[in-house]
Amino acid sequence: MGRTKLVFATTLAALASGVVTLSWALFGGAGWTAAPHAALAATICFLISAVGGVAIMAILRRDCNRLTARLRQTDAPLHSTALSIPQAGFSFLQRALSELAESAERAVNDAAFRTKELEVQLKVATAERQHAEAIIYSISDAVLVTDAFDELVLANDAAARAFGFELGNSCRKPLDQVLHDPNLIGMIRHARHSDSEAPRRVVEHTLHTSAGDRTFKVTLSSVAGPRPVDGADRSAAPAGVVAVLHDMTREKEVAEMKNDFVSMVSHELRTPLASIKAYVEMLIDGEARDDKAQREFYEVIQNEANRLGRLIDNILSIARIESGLVRVTRQPQSLTVIVKDAMEVIAPQARQKQIALTEKLTPVFYQTSADRDMLHQAVLNLLSNAVKYTPINGSVCAEVDVDEAARKVIVRIIDTGVGIPPKDLPFVFDKFFRAEANSRMASGTGLGLSLVKHIIETVHHGRMLLESQVGKGSIFGFELDLCD
Amino acid sequence: MTDKTILVADDETHILNVVSLKLRNAGFNVLTAQDGQEALEIALAERPDLVITDYHMPLLSGLELSRRLHAEPTTTAIPVIMLTARGYQLDAHDTEASGILRMLSKPFSPRLLLATVIEVLGGAPVAVGTTGEQ
Repeated sequence: MGRTKLVFATTLAALASGVVTLSWALFGGAGWTAAPHAALAATICFLISAVGGVAIMAILRRDCNRLTARLRQTDAPLHSTALSIPQAGFSFLQRALSELAESAERAVNDAAFRTKELEVQLKVATAERQHAEAIIYSISDAVLVTDAFDELVLANDAAARAFGFELGNSCRKPLDQVLHDPNLIGMIRHARHSDSEAPRRVVEHTLHTSAGDRTFKVTLSSVAGPRPVDGADRSAAPAGVVAVLHDMTREKEVAEMKNDFVSMVSHELRTPLASIKAYVEMLIDGEARDDKAQREFYEVIQNEANRLGRLIDNILSIARIESGLVRVTRQPQSLTVIVKDAMEVIAPQARQKQIALTEKLTPVFYQTSADRDMLHQAVLNLLSNAVKYTPINGSVCAEVDVDEAARKVIVRIIDTGVGIPPKDLPFVFDKFFRAEANSRMASGTGLGLSLVKHIIETVHHGRMLLESQVGKGSIFGFELDLCD
Repeated sequence: MTDKTILVADDETHILNVVSLKLRNAGFNVLTAQDGQEALEIALAERPDLVITDYHMPLLSGLELSRRLHAEPTTTAIPVIMLTARGYQLDAHDTEASGILRMLSKPFSPRLLLATVIEVLGGAPVAVGTTGEQ
């Protein structure tokens, strides 16, 4: 080390002396030729400094080689090296720089990898969100998703329709600005604060709309927020609520209709059965004191048994048509023939009430593709009603008309009966409906017209016709397509 | 028993006839009505000893008929037997508030009905149930 310093100092001194002497000779005013001694001294100094420079280079080169060799021996610890202090410092610096570079490169690589990973995660998350949104949008039930601040985060079309808000500009709005239903908002708030042990609650809720009340089955689920990283608070506070509203209005109506139907059927079946049982018991107990009374009793029993039979037939026919299980045999039929047959069946009933039966029929060759038995039943039901609700000495006329241009055949049963009050007209084809004003006029199942409508409209794709005037009479009819 | 008058109200003619005949054969005077309004008018005018009414009738239901009779001082004491085809289970509040004493469900036995009538009118004690046979 001391040797290197000496060489370095000697070389620097010689170089400096050479420079001074040369400067003096050149610029000191003596001139090169005027000062040959000075020029010689400068030359000597330069030579000494040149030799020193070569020596320094040799020393540095040697040190460099040692350093390189030392660096190659990676297993040798730094402090045990035999290198001199400048050599060790240089090595440490290089090593540190190298480590720094390596770690910087590692960090850059890591960051790039992490970025790629995050990009993938983002893509997956976006796809999953779109997937979830697609599912929510395709659900026919109304879905509302709210956050911890009771703001609407997500909703679907069904919800927008049910609550009358616009889907596009309702996101991130407070619930009470979107829904105008304090009860439902209260339920959602309550669900958010509810015990996380029971995160799901199902309640029935009635929504009052301008179009009438709608009943919803509301499933409220509180959604837990993200758990703290340290896991200290294990019962994370609910971050929001998912409310799914299933519209049960129609289901309720159907259930009520079914209930009503069962209750009505049981009532309608019990009534003739009650007569049959009572009259049979009266006969057994000898309450019919003479032959005439006995005969009357038997007739009542027979008629009521027939009524019960018709009732059961009608209920089954309607049920079969409604459920699509009915077997339809379509063949070209002449409605003129069908109406004539039905008139013959009804004639005795008409004679009993002195009702004039008349007919205006088209030629037989006009035909329609239809199930003969079903159409016979339909015409018979219309004729039977006409006779039942027409007072004594009235008249019933059966018309079969053809509209060649429209390719339709039209049947009309025109009576001079009691007519139907306008308020009852919309309901006459409903099951078990009987106009109260006329119900004492005749007994009936309340199913006859319902069955006719089913036969004409559901089975034959025709159309029912009805006109009625109280006190004057009714025209019940239907039109069907003619066969080509 | 022949001095007792019974009003029978039912919109089903066959039931009205069979009940009337059974009661007449047993010696009662029988009045008939085919709807609730007619029954109310007859009851107010004639003050029968007993009313037998169907539940489901035009213009005025059997329950409403009973309520009106029960609310009227001159007819409030008239016992009412109700026949119903619906299998309705009227609650005690309804029956008490409207003075309905017995319920019989259709189909019913005229024999059982007569026994119930005799029991309600305080005739010879007859062991009868309070409902009709199913």
